[in-house]
Amino acid sequence: MTVDNISDVEFGTELPAFTPDTTLAATSAFAEAVGYAGNGRFEDHEKARAQGLPGALAPGIMGMGLLSRVIHDWAPRGRIRQIDTVFRAPVLADHNHTISAIVTDIDEASGEVMLDLSIKNEKDETRVFGTATLVIPLS
Amino acid sequence: MQDIEELRVKFLDLEFDRTGFTVDAKQSAKIARAYGESRPAYTDPSDPNFEVCLPMLASLASGRRLPIDFPALGGISMDGGKSVNSLAPVRPGVKLTGRTHLHDIYAKSGRSGRMVFLVSRMQLYDSEGNHLASTDSRQVIREKPE
Repeated sequence: MTVDNISDVEFGTELPAFTPDTTLAATSAFAEAVGYAGNGRFEDHEKARAQGLPGALAPGIMGMGLLSRVIHDWAPRGRIRQIDTVFRAPVLADHNHTISAIVTDIDEASGEVMLDLSIKNEKDETRVFGTATLVIPLS
Repeated sequence: MQDIEELRVKFLDLEFDRTGFTVDAKQSAKIARAYGESRPAYTDPSDPNFEVCLPMLASLASGRRLPIDFPALGGISMDGGKSVNSLAPVRPGVKLTGRTHLHDIYAKSGRSGRMVFLVSRMQLYDSEGNHLASTDSRQVIREKPE
C-alpha cells in the first residue's frame, strides 16, 4: 500500500510492517559505508562482546535509515522534513526486527503528515522509537 | 552533582564549534543503498535530483562534542539518539559549514540515579549562508551515585 497525495492519508493508518535486514552482513556494510567500521562493534560478534556489548549491533543512524526507507516506500512522492530517533537499546545484528509506523496527525492544508515510528526485536522490545514529519503533495 | 540550571544558563545556545564539510556523492549513495533505500535521488549520484541522505547528515560530527570548559559529569556516556531537520536538499560537493551549540540540557531521575541529557545541535549552512539542515545529537550520561 502506498499513498500518492495527501487525500490518500488517513489518521491512524498503520504503514505496512516491515522486516529490515539487520544481519551481520548488513550492519557491517552500513558501518563500512559510513566510516564506522574497524573495531568490530558492528561487524564481529566476538569483538563486540569483548567490548562489553551483547553482540555486534547496528549503528544508531542505520535505524534512522531503515525508518526513512519505510516512509519513502509508503509515500513515494513524500519528502521527510524531520526525523527524530531515540536509541533506547541496541539493535543487535542477526536478530529479527520489525519496523512499525502509524499516522498520528495530518495537516491537509500544508500536506504535512506526522508519524510515530518504532523498531522492535523478536521479543517485542522497543529498541528505537521516534517521530517523523513528511510533506506529501496536495494533489 | 552538577546543577542543571546552572549548566543551562552558562552553556545553552552558545556556538562552541565550527567545522567545514564537503559530502561525497558516492559515499552518501553507498550509505543509502546499505539501508535499502530505493529512491534514485538518494542512491544514484547521476540522478538530476540526487541529494545527500539524512543518515549521512546525521553522521557529520563537529570538531568538539562539548564546549571546551564544560565540566566532566563523571558518568557513563551513551548515544541517546539523533534527529535531522531538513530545510532544503543538501547537494553533494557543496561546501558546508556546521555550527554547533548545546540546544538543551535536562535530567531525569530514577531508581538507579540521575541521567543527564545533552542535546548538541549542528546547523548546516552552505557557502552563501543558506541554512539547509540541522542535526541533533542526544548524549545521555548516567551519573555515578555519590
